[in-house]
Amino acid sequence: MDPINWHTLFFLLFAGIACAFALGVVFSSNVVRMAFFLIISLAATAGLFFLAGADFVGAMQLVLYVGGTLVLLVFGVMLTAQSPFISIRTSGGDWILAALVGGSMLAILVPTALMIGERANMPSAEADATTRAEPPGAIQPVVMAKEEPTVAMLPPVPVESRPTATNIGQALIGVRVDKLEETNERKRAGLAGYVMPFEVISIHLLVVLVGAAFLARARRRAKSRFADAA
Amino acid sequence: MLSLLSEPVGLSHYLIVGAVMFVSGAVCMATKRNALGVLMGIELVLNGANVNFVAFGSDFLARNPNYGIGLDGHVIALFVIVLAAAEAAVALAIVLNFYNNHATIDVDKADELKG
Amino acid sequence: METIPTLLGAAWLLPLVSFTLILLFGPRMGKAGKAASYVAIGAIGGGFVLSLIALFQWRGIDEPYLAGEWYTLAQFDSLKLTIGYYVDTLTVVMFCMVTLIATCIHFYAVGYMHEELHDVTDHEVTLADGSHLTRPGRFHRFFQYLSLFCFSMLGIVISGNIAMTFVFWELVGICSYFLIGFYIERKSASTAANKAFIVNRVGDMGMIIGLMVLFTTLGTFNFGDVDGEPGIFSLVRPEVAHHDDHAGRDAAASPFATVALAPKADAGDQSDHHGDHTAHATRPLVVPQGMFDAAVRDRVAAGEEATAENLEAWQSSKLGYGLLVIAGLGIFCGCVGKSAQFPLHVWLPDAMEGPTPVSALVHSATMVAAGVFLVGRFYPVFTPEVLLAIAVIGCFTLFMAATIAITATDIKRVLAYSTLSQLGYMMFALGVGGWVAGMLHLITHAFFKSLLFMCSGSVIHAVHSNEMTDMGGLLKKMPITAYTMLVGCLAIIGAGIPLVIGLSGYYSKDAILAQAMLFAEQDENGLFRLMFFVAAGGAAITAFYMFRLWFMTFLGEPRDAHRYEHAHESPKVMTYPLLVLSFFAIFVATPLTSLDMTTAPLTAALDEARPADDHQARTAEDAAGATWLSIPYEHDSHTARIHTQAGLIAFGTAMGGLLLACCIYWWRLVNPREVADMFRPIYRFLLGKWWFDELYDRLFVQPTFFFSRIIAGIDKNLIDWLIDNLAAGTRWFCVGFDTWIDRLFVDGLVNWTARKIYAIGLAFRAVQTGNLRQYIVLIVVGTVALFILATFGFAG
Repeated sequence: MDPINWHTLFFLLFAGIACAFALGVVFSSNVVRMAFFLIISLAATAGLFFLAGADFVGAMQLVLYVGGTLVLLVFGVMLTAQSPFISIRTSGGDWILAALVGGSMLAILVPTALMIGERANMPSAEADATTRAEPPGAIQPVVMAKEEPTVAMLPPVPVESRPTATNIGQALIGVRVDKLEETNERKRAGLAGYVMPFEVISIHLLVVLVGAAFLARARRRAKSRFADAA
Repeated sequence: MLSLLSEPVGLSHYLIVGAVMFVSGAVCMATKRNALGVLMGIELVLNGANVNFVAFGSDFLARNPNYGIGLDGHVIALFVIVLAAAEAAVALAIVLNFYNNHATIDVDKADELKG
Repeated sequence: METIPTLLGAAWLLPLVSFTLILLFGPRMGKAGKAASYVAIGAIGGGFVLSLIALFQWRGIDEPYLAGEWYTLAQFDSLKLTIGYYVDTLTVVMFCMVTLIATCIHFYAVGYMHEELHDVTDHEVTLADGSHLTRPGRFHRFFQYLSLFCFSMLGIVISGNIAMTFVFWELVGICSYFLIGFYIERKSASTAANKAFIVNRVGDMGMIIGLMVLFTTLGTFNFGDVDGEPGIFSLVRPEVAHHDDHAGRDAAASPFATVALAPKADAGDQSDHHGDHTAHATRPLVVPQGMFDAAVRDRVAAGEEATAENLEAWQSSKLGYGLLVIAGLGIFCGCVGKSAQFPLHVWLPDAMEGPTPVSALVHSATMVAAGVFLVGRFYPVFTPEVLLAIAVIGCFTLFMAATIAITATDIKRVLAYSTLSQLGYMMFALGVGGWVAGMLHLITHAFFKSLLFMCSGSVIHAVHSNEMTDMGGLLKKMPITAYTMLVGCLAIIGAGIPLVIGLSGYYSKDAILAQAMLFAEQDENGLFRLMFFVAAGGAAITAFYMFRLWFMTFLGEPRDAHRYEHAHESPKVMTYPLLVLSFFAIFVATPLTSLDMTTAPLTAALDEARPADDHQARTAEDAAGATWLSIPYEHDSHTARIHTQAGLIAFGTAMGGLLLACCIYWWRLVNPREVADMFRPIYRFLLGKWWFDELYDRLFVQPTFFFSRIIAGIDKNLIDWLIDNLAAGTRWFCVGFDTWIDRLFVDGLVNWTARKIYAIGLAFRAVQTGNLRQYIVLIVVGTVALFILATFGFAG
């Protein structure tokens, strides 16, 4: 029996939690529980990110998502948590329809994932050969592997862990320090970094801030009408 | 079962997790009548996608360098997180407005745009 | 010396300033615009003072004239339009006369027009509902027009070129239109204004022809020499040097032998003889080179060759002389319109519809004077043939108008026909060579006719009627008016002690008759003698109708007791101008130092201004070269023989007329009714004003109406029919097109498409349930479907 691969063990743990609580969100009908399940599911996802070596993204997942966005959602739940709305039942027909559609989608996604995973784990030359063996003109399900057969085969398990925060920070201000020594021409294409998307996102956030404040502000007339109705 | 524990984790594993979360989110959106439930479904869908991005960007998972997208995956995941936050804020504002005006958060009641 | 044009220019522009001010601020000037009259009076009075200064300065100047340009409006190649001046003694004297009389009339108008200071109810205008028209007063507007009128008239007088003259000529026309039509609500007034304007257009047509001939052949509009460029006068009458008296006579005897232009160097030689009456430098009338060239071009175009012999022959045969005649006749044509001579005289009596100060201004100093003035100004250009035409027309007018005046009963109309008659005298005088006589009569007439008109206005103001049959015995009620009018009547008939002294009219009328007599004597022609007798007889008729007017108005029993009771003397602002004018009417032409009329300051000054002349009789020859017409030199009429005869004849005829008037209207020896019955056909003929209005109606107006009706008939029946049918056809075609192609096919296609799209939209409407969850399901299904399609549809 092979020794236990701890990495795999933790992956299975976090993946199980994430999937289980995601399903919990689906099947629970109480909105308060749903929120709680969602928090757990997303926190577990953050664990998955750490395991994948994306330390900064994982941290952001915890801070922004779990700590910010979901708290916002919980506030929403609290503001609307009147007894008629806590659990609204859905008809059986809808459930069946949703199950059918979701199942079919899952049936498509899971084989595709397996197929891509196999190919991604192949050594480079072999993968290239596979790719090249395919008839010309065929549409590639994943548009990635086509050239650079000259690259030497990499060691099968590169387990060197590097923190990514610095590189991400540099990328956001327009420098891809991680690609400076890249020899692969195709991969050098993105050297310019992410200044432009970063700026767009920041303006977007400003607009969202203003818009949200505008939409959510208390409107006297609506309130008074509501009060009259009450 | 044991062999599952001893083998290294690959890209497929992550993608399957992402797929499960994505489908969960979609089903959640399709079945929940509570507007907040629909919002949670959206969060799940976005997270499923994020899992995929991170997985593709991870050096551990993709042993063939041609398949890795490296740091790009991380950065896109970050953008998705930020946009999700923004989306959540606006959506919540809309929901609260809807709640204020209609005294309900049942999305089935919100069919005023019916053709 | 250069200050004189500036002074006169300022005097000329002052009324324009006044006009502009009143135009802009008129209604706000004082109470109901009363201050507008002060502005206008100030302007014209200032003009008079400036003119007077210019007159005194002019006495120290030797130049025959000053000409120059103030401002060039535009220059198109050789066509140069300028605002220029041509100042000679005539200009200066006219300036003084016009401004003086206009000032008096302005003062007078302040009193006469006082009703316009408040709302006016016009009793001669009846509205549809039977009431009378009530309108706001137009006091300021009256003075506004008066100022513009004076400005225009002074512009004609000072103008240095014929184009500028024409512009101001038309301005005078439009001003008269405004003023005659001042009571625009009265049908008669607006008709009279239109008539004056349209009749003047007929004359101006001829004037434009004359202008075009002059410009195309001479290439300049200027009267005098400006900056060394020869003007019209120098071109028509180049200075020819003759150191020998005998040679001068020779050249004068055959003036057209010197067709070639006088060399300039020669003219320069003569400067020392300038202005000297005894100098031998003469200015014979020649065909200018430009006219000769134009005529030669016509000949060449007609196929003749311009060889040296031909050119010489043409020169000696006065080629191009016809153009000079046409130019002269054209210019005179304009003067006929403006001065209301025979064929175009019909507008002037109707112009009495204007307020009386306007009549005084139009009939004395400005409008009608403009025509005579222009004839005088253009005198050097007129050939003997043209002068004969002027004389004939003037003679006929003076007789015709005088006879009509006998029977008229409207006091202003009597004066209007009298004006016509006197204008005829002026034209006649100019035509027979009496330039000074004509101009002298223009000035003396201006004074006594304005006086007469203002007196009549004063009477009308008192009795509120124009008809002499409503007056009578007014001498006691309004003595100042009566006696000043008596002065005017005496002046116009030329009263005086024969050969000794007399009123102003005495001198001018004597001069005219003397010249006419000389003219009649020199030619062995019955027509010319007849013209002299007509002029002499006209003097008798003048005396008759003027005193008929005076007696009927001021003596005898009142014919209308009611009007007589209300009559009163006019206010001082109206009577003082009468006194001023009667002073001038008496003394303006009086010689100061001797009994010889030629030594009078005015006569002497005018004699200085005599246009560039050869101081010879002007002669015209027929084809055979024999002289058939001779316009005598004016100085020859000053000989004692002619002058005594003419003076006695004039006195005799005038006294005869006066006596007849006394018999009928003062002593009542004869009843005028009986006389009228005795000569009923003639009386009716005269009362009908020789039926000129009816004649023109038949000759011009009715045929025009007739043709208009025919044309209108063609228009209505034929052209309208064609167009209607064409339209109906087009309509019919369009209706068919519309029904079949447009409605059925195009509309059908469009509607069908619209309906289909609508149906499709309705079908898809069912999908839009508005249910959020359903949309999500559809999205997922769509994604799955796309995936399956991509995998199995394209991969295979």
